[in-house]
Amino acid sequence: MLKYILKRILQFIPVFIGVTVILFALTNIVPGDPIKLIAGEKSLAPEVELQLRAANHLIKVDDQGLPIFDENGNTIPESTVAQYGYYISDLLHGDLGESYQKKVPVLDIFKDKYPYTIRLAAVAIVIEIIVGIGAGMISAIKRYSFWDVLVTLSTSILVAMPAFWLGMLLQLFFGIKLKEWTGGGFYMPMSGAGGAVSEFQSWMHYILPAITLASVSTAYAARIMRSQLLETLNMDYIRTAIAKGLNSRQVILKHALKNALIPVVTYIGIDFGSMLSGAILTETVFNWPGIGYEIYRAITMRDWPVVMGGVTLVVVVVLVISLIVDISYAFLDPRIRYGNKKEN
Amino acid sequence: MTTNSQQSQALVWEKERAAAANNAHGADNNPQLNKDAEKHSGPSRTLWGDAWNRLKQNKLAIIAACWIVFIVLVALTCDLWAPQLLGSPIEISSADTAKLSLLPPSLEHPFGTDLLGRDVLVRIIYGTRVSLAVGILATAISTAIGLVMGALAAYYGGWLDMIIMRLADIFLAFPYILFVIAMLAVIGPGFQNVFIAIGILGWPSIARVFRSAILSVQENDYISAARALGASDVRIIARHIFPNAVASIVVYATMSIGGAILTESALSFIGMGVTPPTPSWGQMINDGRAYLANAPWIMLAPGFAILSTVLSFTLLGDGLRDALDVKLKDA
Repeated sequence: MLKYILKRILQFIPVFIGVTVILFALTNIVPGDPIKLIAGEKSLAPEVELQLRAANHLIKVDDQGLPIFDENGNTIPESTVAQYGYYISDLLHGDLGESYQKKVPVLDIFKDKYPYTIRLAAVAIVIEIIVGIGAGMISAIKRYSFWDVLVTLSTSILVAMPAFWLGMLLQLFFGIKLKEWTGGGFYMPMSGAGGAVSEFQSWMHYILPAITLASVSTAYAARIMRSQLLETLNMDYIRTAIAKGLNSRQVILKHALKNALIPVVTYIGIDFGSMLSGAILTETVFNWPGIGYEIYRAITMRDWPVVMGGVTLVVVVVLVISLIVDISYAFLDPRIRYGNKKEN
Repeated sequence: MTTNSQQSQALVWEKERAAAANNAHGADNNPQLNKDAEKHSGPSRTLWGDAWNRLKQNKLAIIAACWIVFIVLVALTCDLWAPQLLGSPIEISSADTAKLSLLPPSLEHPFGTDLLGRDVLVRIIYGTRVSLAVGILATAISTAIGLVMGALAAYYGGWLDMIIMRLADIFLAFPYILFVIAMLAVIGPGFQNVFIAIGILGWPSIARVFRSAILSVQENDYISAARALGASDVRIIARHIFPNAVASIVVYATMSIGGAILTESALSFIGMGVTPPTPSWGQMINDGRAYLANAPWIMLAPGFAILSTVLSFTLLGDGLRDALDVKLKDA
């Protein structure tokens, strides 16, 4: 078991390095000179510019953080490898850079937003588990029935539909057309600021965004559940169970479901990771004050450090969660622990 | 959201395929396919001929194919008739703007008009160009990269396989939509950059599909036979492996056109996609956000356009999968 965890963590390291190299490369080829972007329209005094270049590790500095000059009095550009070293060290210290517009650290911006994203993801995952697994089971047990066709058809439609459009349809129908019935609680008013905190106390505000966020993944969860259960029901041990006289309810609940659930739960676990990464589209449609909306806001303001910092944060969260999902799987399913040995 | 969709699509697909293979000798086989097999024991004996005969039986796939042909024709010919009937999709004179702004659907403007008085229908018609072009070009790029990577990994194996597959893992570790956004933040929005970004970042899924397709073909005895007869690597790949793996590529590419169209609409929706005033469906939905209560028609029609187009590519891909599936055919 310990061996498996260690191996999984060792596999995680190259992926982490690869991901950070890509992010570093992207951050450092953002068009134009980063110092000019920080300055905006203003022209900087040469001393200030030098200081900024030194602080951003663009040129070589001495122990005191002062720029080093070559014999001609020019600054020496820092090597890319050293820049990557600084980038990783900053990243591990939680330093994601500073917003051009707000002049505050990127991490501080996202810290306030994370609770909203987590709460929304939690509601969405509950919907996904109940509806996804339930629909998939009904569909598999009553294969080729009306319900099966309904589930297959509606999952196909959900997957082909832009989730942000679904969100707007829900707003239009429940928030505006049915305003009298629902008391207007479902309608998110358009507000550029992302809504004041107090507006989001009511539980009703969670329903539509959570349904929107869960829609596509619920459809996939239902499909995976269906095909897994169908596959399991074809196994010999199920035939044996039926042959020895168990009724079908017992066979499905006690024998088939346990095995069929494993891939579905894995999918849902990884999906929870990507939901925590802030659903940029859902949060944008509902002006939900989470990290996805903050990234969207930064895009519209062309505030690239916030965009890149947000993406970096999210990618790290997703990586760590998929690692946790994998490891917890080894606890639950012995086949994963032992099965990997055969492969290698 | 879109993040995991490509991976899970592949997962579902593999599972369904495995389930179908398991069922092949059982009583629970797909009755549709059994029927088809009996019906078409006659004329066509080629892979594509058989596939076409099967596809013809699948009504949903045929409807989807017709819809795709229809929008391709619309995209190619719209310059000739759309502006004359419905006005310019991009700009209308300021005098008309006041008169035509936010009109509800009527005979003259079947889907209504937007804030600037432009006809929603004509903008949807022109939007087909962006959606189809991005979908096809992005898929072409990701398929080309994915094929080369997948073939190298599967055929040569060893360290090359490991490096390529670890690289694919790294790409797949990113939430897809955010990866595309980060890339566009670097290279800038715009039509060309959108399909390049979607294409370049989409290769790992197709590389995986192609790799596993080759690996399963490679285990066949006829490959060993060809090798024993002294056939070169290139000849084996071109004459024996590729024809047998091409079915899965066609199916996957068809589905990923739909995926690319969805991604483009999402990018345009958040303002990272095609730059205005070029009409794009996602951007039109974003235009409609501010007028959701007063003029919902602005966002309704483009949403249906995306839904029907993406659904058509998915259904056609499903149909092709059933029609072309080599394993099913052998069973």
